[in-house]
Formats: sequence, structure tokens, C-alpha cells
Amino acid sequence: MSYPVLVRGLTKTFYDESRGEIRAVDGIDFECGEGEIFGLLGANGAGKTTTLRMLSTILTPTSGSAAILNHDVVRDPEGVRKHLGFYSAGTALYPRLTARETIEFFARINQYPSSRVPERVRYLVDRFGISKYADVRVEKLSTGMKQKVSLARTVAHDPPIIIFDEPTVGLDVLNALEAQQTIKELRDEGKTIIFSTHIMSEAERLCDRIAIIHGGRILDCDTLAGLREKTGKHYLEDIFVQYAGRPAE
Amino acid sequence: MNWGTLRLLYIHELKMLLRARRTVVMSIVVPALIMPIVLVGSKYSTDRRARALAETTYRYVVTGPEAGRVRGLIRDNVDGTLPQFLPEETSAADPARSLENGLIHFYIQTSRNPADAVPVVQIVFRGDRDVSRNGSERMSDLLRRARRNQADVLLAARGFPAGPNQVFPVEPESIASAAQVTGSDVGRFLTVILVMLMFTGGSIVAMDIIAGEKERGTLETLLTTAAGRAEIVTAKQLAITSVGIFIALIQALNFLIYIRFRLIELPAGFAIELPLVSILNLLLLFLPLAAAIAAVLLMLSAYAKTYKEAQLYFFPVYLLGLVPALAAVLPGIRSRSAIALVPIANVSVAVREILMGRPDQPMIFVTFGVMAVTGIWLMRTSARMLTREDIIAPGHFEAETLLGGPGLFRKRVLRWFALMWAVIFAVAANIPQLSTFRAQLLFNEVVVFAGASLLMIKVYRLNIREALSLRSVRPAVWLAALIAIPAGHVMSFAVFRLVNTVIPAPQQLLEQFSRDFIPKDMPAWELYFFLAVLPAICEEIGFRGVLLYGLRRKLKPVELALAVGLIFGMFHITLFRIVPTAFMGVILTAVAVMTGSIFPGILIHMGNNAFAVWAADSGLALQSLRWSDYGAAALIFALAMWIMWRTRASSSGCP
Ligand SMILES: Nc1ncnc2c1ncn2[C@@H]1O[C@H](COP(=O)(O)OP(=O)(O)O)[C@@H](O)[C@H]1O
Ligand SMILES: [Mg+2]
Repeated sequence: MSYPVLVRGLTKTFYDESRGEIRAVDGIDFECGEGEIFGLLGANGAGKTTTLRMLSTILTPTSGSAAILNHDVVRDPEGVRKHLGFYSAGTALYPRLTARETIEFFARINQYPSSRVPERVRYLVDRFGISKYADVRVEKLSTGMKQKVSLARTVAHDPPIIIFDEPTVGLDVLNALEAQQTIKELRDEGKTIIFSTHIMSEAERLCDRIAIIHGGRILDCDTLAGLREKTGKHYLEDIFVQYAGRPAE
Repeated sequence: MNWGTLRLLYIHELKMLLRARRTVVMSIVVPALIMPIVLVGSKYSTDRRARALAETTYRYVVTGPEAGRVRGLIRDNVDGTLPQFLPEETSAADPARSLENGLIHFYIQTSRNPADAVPVVQIVFRGDRDVSRNGSERMSDLLRRARRNQADVLLAARGFPAGPNQVFPVEPESIASAAQVTGSDVGRFLTVILVMLMFTGGSIVAMDIIAGEKERGTLETLLTTAAGRAEIVTAKQLAITSVGIFIALIQALNFLIYIRFRLIELPAGFAIELPLVSILNLLLLFLPLAAAIAAVLLMLSAYAKTYKEAQLYFFPVYLLGLVPALAAVLPGIRSRSAIALVPIANVSVAVREILMGRPDQPMIFVTFGVMAVTGIWLMRTSARMLTREDIIAPGHFEAETLLGGPGLFRKRVLRWFALMWAVIFAVAANIPQLSTFRAQLLFNEVVVFAGASLLMIKVYRLNIREALSLRSVRPAVWLAALIAIPAGHVMSFAVFRLVNTVIPAPQQLLEQFSRDFIPKDMPAWELYFFLAVLPAICEEIGFRGVLLYGLRRKLKPVELALAVGLIFGMFHITLFRIVPTAFMGVILTAVAVMTGSIFPGILIHMGNNAFAVWAADSGLALQSLRWSDYGAAALIFALAMWIMWRTRASSSGCP
């Protein structure tokens, strides 16, 4: 069968002036099924962001391949991005647009059928509960409000595949829970979701399958139950340490 | 190109710009307001001054033995033909004192030349006071006219038919129309002004549009959308171009309004004629000019990591853009020359020809072509910069800043060379003790080039053998280096001549420079030591040693040779020497890269300089060589390079 997301032998080598060659991602394979939340669990510097950036075509792979709905990230980057929503702590909003304008802009730029854009904007404003401040410029909004607008702009064009790179970094507990809730709802609507985090509890709670990534390699990839069975440990934290070894290296 | 996306992005960019109040105020409102304020202010003050001068009654004193005659002359001639000059004689015991105290505006001192008894009239005034200067000028006009009238009267009395002015009238008459003269004058500066307006107007916008986006983190968001890089860059480019053109238009309109309301007086005989063809031609040149400048600004913005960094780069780039725009100011440059290939300079020259009513249509198309190619190339480069990976994930690790060592050295090497440059041209040039031939060379070569290089090696704990490429090479390489010396010298002279066809070097200036600078009585061995041996060793240590080592990992070999060569050229700042020296620098770098050793370069450098000294001494005229001779030199040179290339693997293989 064909997977919505298919990654084979994906590798990214950075060349840093002082550190020399860095294999940030080192030949990883995985695939995600429709309507699942696929988790990338790894410590800082494990290669999560680099992997997801290659999937979203911001970075070009050094070798290997990745495809989103059969669009190859190297050969057809625009086709990939059209079907993708990408959310990370790094993807900021335009401060001088209003919330409503933001959603509209991202719907159009991602080629959502233009006749249906107004309807889509209304729906999202409603769904994310931002109608009260929909016409206020983003720069005036609080962190929580911004986060909602950010989520709305990520799915503005109704993409079948959504990538969340450590979405809860820098959020307080309530906002983080709300983001998690949204991600679950999106999964239930049938979206394929790739979700990266270094927080064990988050991965435990959300992910249908978890890939443990360390030093640019995927050490194992299974459901939580599968991982428990393989390691004989219950808590994800212990499972993770068993795979990754002592964290202090 | 997806036109729908492009349109959407373009509108998006303009909307963002218009909403950035600071940007709008700084780039549109302030420039539009400053001009009228300055003009109104200066008109007000000149008007006031003129009125004040006209209404003044000039008090003066006449002294000396010829006072009576001078008084008579003033009386007879002050008949109002000199407009608004109201002189009034008073008396003063000590005119010099009175003038000093401001009681009178000037005084007239008469005397008689003791030899031939001819009367002498002197007007004494205070140059630091407007009124005093003005009064004395008017008085001196008046007396001069009086003298002429008197001469005419005397001549007529002796039977001369008419005033001397009518005997042999000389009347120059230009066959150029008033419009052509005006066009020639305006044309000199029009391009420079436009370039200035485009640069300053576009810059604030350009910095916001990529560097600002990077800083705010919206660029990453934009890059993950379905919009292509080409559309993104083009939209940004169009936005900058539009704003630049808009600002230029506003300023032009401003200007017309001032002329209309006479805030600016036009010079006498001012006439502009612009037939439709000329307007079309100007557009043909200005549109790609605007686009190219926008592309430069965009590139700068894409290159910088932050807004601040972009601002830092702006000024040098701006100056660099203005220099070619001044081409039309130079006398005698025509667009039918190599200048047509120099971007911006070609527009500057062609625009002047159009305004003079002498457009060179084929060259206008050539200029358009060159500008269009330049613009497209710049745009593609900026598009590539957007795909550069560190644009999104900029240099993570600043650890080397703490650790020091070679990693940090590579980051700092350019700063060191900038500092060395500043020391040589700012410090050394202003210390008189360093201005003699020997002192200057010793300072530049030993202290700056060699000294700073060794200091860098010490500070960053570099491995000296690696940093200076201290490696032996095969005998064949030495042979090739020997062959390369005369051939390379002749070629760099050919480059000098080529450059000369674009920017003519004043020959006397060059000769005078070396005449004054080099002591005449210097023995030959010392001349060779200071001009050949010393520079070869010290400069090679600096440029092909540490600089090359510092840039090596960052650049590909060809870029490396160009970069080191260019920096080398920048240290030989006389405009006419930059290019030939840079050319030599590129060659020397290539040699160092190919052989992996500093020594062959030292030999070539030394030989080249010694050759130059010898040629100057023995009067060998390289100017008399024909282009075929240069071709032969190039062949020999290529042979030498080929030998080094062949042997490169074995000599540069070791780590
Ligand atoms: N642009 C870059 N240049 C050099 N090294 C990088 C760059 N981006 C990431 N890295 C390195 O790649 C590795 C993986 O980083 P990243 O993918 O950001 O990890 P994570 O997101 O899991 O924290 C790290 O060692 C990081 O230092
Ligand atoms: Mg990360």
C-alpha cells in the first residue's frame, strides 16, 4: 500500500566551519499511515527538526528520499508543500496582519480553491474560537491567542498532512493542553500527523506510534504497547533511556 | 512562474510595507518633507540676505593724496546704473579702526606710485562680513567702470573712431541649442541622483523585506507554503522596485512643484527638450537600472542574518553603486566604448547622450541588454540565497567564540584584514614620519603584513606550517614559476591597459607619484630589496599565507582565488592599480592553491616586482607591445600554469 508519508534512507550532513561534518540525520526510514499521529521522540540535537525541515522542503536531503502523497521532496517541492501544514516554534506570524487576514493569506498562498476561501476563513475563525479578536493585528495578541491563530493558519488550506515540530515549547500548561487537544481532533478528522517532541508524557498521551530518534538515527519505531513489550519497561522515560543509553553524552 | 501567487505575494508585500508605519515615514514621508523644508528655508534666508544687502547704505571713507579724484569718479558714476548701491562717504580719523569697529563698511586708500607717479587705489574691507565684502565689490565694480569710461573718453579725444571694444569684437557662438547645453549639464548628474534616490528609498524597504522577515521568523513560515522561491523573490523584488520608483517619482514631482513655485531658480538658458523617443529611451535605461538596484538591495538583505547586519552592509554597497553612476561626470566618455559593458556606468553615459540630443541607439540597446543581464543575474543570486540553508538555521554554534583557535580565526580573519587596511590607509598615511619611502615600506610590509600575520598565528594558536603553507615543491614547479614571471608581468600590464580603456589613468600622475616617492640616490640593491624582496615575502605571508588559510574552508578554489586576489588588490588602492594587482593576486592565489605551498608564489611575486623595477630603470616600454605579444605571453603563462596544475596532486596531497 502507499503511505501518505514515506521516508527512506533520509540523510542530512551539515558542514560546520568549526565542528566539521555533522550527520544531523543519518539514514532514517519511516512511514505514516492515514489518520495517525506519528511521534518523533528525541532529546535536543537528536535531528528531529532537521528531519521535519527536509520533509517540508526547507532543507534539501544530502541523500535518501522522502515523499508526501507521492510527491518527492526534491523533485516536486511545491507539490509537497501544497499538501502540507508546517507548525513549529520558528514559524512566526506576520505581526502586521490581522488574524483573519493571516488565515486568508495562508489559504490563498497554499492554493486553496479561491471561491471557497471566505467560507474556509469563517469556519476556522469559528473553530479555533478567535472571532472576538479576528480583526485585531497579530502583534497585539497574547501568546495563547497567537498560538490559536498559528494553528489556524497551519491548517488554512485543509492539508491532508500536518507536521508539528515541538509545538508546545514555550507554552504554559493550559495552552499546551489545548494544542494537544487540537492535534487529536485533527487526527480524528482523518489527517496524518507527524509530531516531534522531547517531552515523554506528551508522546505517551498523543502518539499512535513513536519513533525514538537519537544521534540522527531511529533506534526503534513502534506503538507504545509494542515498545513496552520489547523492553519490558512501563514508562516511556525508562524505555527511552534503555534505547538511548545514558543521556549525558 | 505562477502569476496568481506572484500577484498575491506582491500585494501582500506592499500591504506589509504600508502598515509598517516607521518604514513609510522614514522612506517616503521624511524625504518628501525634508526637501521643501530645506528649500523654503534656504530661499527665505537668501531672500532676506539679498534684501538686507540691497537696503544697506554703505558707509566708507576715502583717504590719501588722490582722494579728490576718486570722489569725483564716484560722484560721476554712481548714477544708479549699478542697481541698488547706496554709497555714503563719511569721515573718520582712523579708518582702519572704524572698519574694525564696524562704523564704516570699507575705506578707499589712495596713493601714488613713487616710480612713475601713477595713482593707486586700494579698497580695504573685512572679508568675514557679508556687508563689507559686498560693498567693497560694488565699489570696485564702480571704479573699474569709471576707469574704462575715462579711457574711452581719452581715446576718443585723440581721434580714435570708437570705444576699443568695438574695434575687434570677439563673440563666441555655440552651435549647440540651449536644450543640448542644458541636457549635457543635467545629464551629467541625472543618473547619480536617480541612483541615490533608488538606493536610499529602496533600502529601508529592502531591509525589512527579507532581513526583517528573517528576524521576525516569518520567512520560515513563508518558505513552508506552496509558493515557490522564484515567486517569493520576484514579488519582493517588484515591491522594492515599485517603492524605489515611487519615491523617485515623488521627488521628481516635488522638484517640478518647487520650480513652478520658484523655490528653485532655474539657471539662465535652461531648456529641456524631451521628444517621445528620448522618453522611451530613458525608460529603457532607467527601468532595468531600478530593477538592478532593487536586486542589489534584496541580495544584501538576503545575505544579512539580521536587520542590523543589513544596515551595516548598506553604506559600502551604496557607495559602490554611486561610483559607476558618476561616469557621465568624467569628460570625454562616450557610450560607444568599453564603458557600455560596465553596469550603471553605461546607463549614466547613455542618459547624458540622450539628453544632449545625441542618442546612440545601438549602444542604448547594448546598455539595456547589459543591465537586464545584470539584473537577472542578481535576482537569481538572491533566489539562491533564499535556499541557502543557514538562512533559516543560521550558524548555531558560537562555541568557537569561547574556545578560540582556528575555528574562531576563520570567523575573524576578514576583520583582521579590514583593520590592516584601515591602519595602512588611515593611520600610516597621516603620520609624517611614515611618509618616506623606506619608512613606509618597512611599516606596511614588516609591521602590518608580516607582523599582523604572525600575531594572528599566535593569538589563534594556528599551526604555522599549515597556516603559511610551508611546504617544499617539486623542481618542475620552480621551473614553471620562473617561466611565469615575465609572462605574468606582461599579462598584468595588458590588464592595466585594458582597464585604461575604461578608466583612463592620468599618466603624469603615475609618473610623478613614483618620481616623488622613490629617492633618487637610492642604490640599486636597496631599490630591489624594498620593492621586490620585502613585499614578496611579507605580502605572501599575509595574503597567500594566513588570509588564504582563513578563507580556504569557506570557499571553492575559484572563489578563493578571486576573493584573495580582490582583497590583495584593495590594498593597492590607487584606482588604476587595483585591477592589475588583483589580477596578480588571483594568479598568486591560484599558484598557492595548486602547489599547496607559499614558496613558488614568493618567487613569482619577487620576480614580477623586480621585473617592474628593472623595466622602469632600463626604459623598457611595455606600451609598445602589440596585442599579439600579449597573446604570446598568455600562452607561455598558460604553459607555466599547466605545469603546476599537472603536478598539483602530488604536492598538495599531504594534509
Ligand atoms: N544549520 C545547521 N548547521 C550546522 N549544524 C546544524 C544545523 N542545523 C542543525 N544542526 C545540527 O544538527 C543536529 C540536529 O539538530 P536538530 O535537527 O535541530 O535537532 P532537534 O530538533 O532534535 O533538537 C544538531 O547537532 C545540530 O547542532
Ligand atoms: Mg528541534
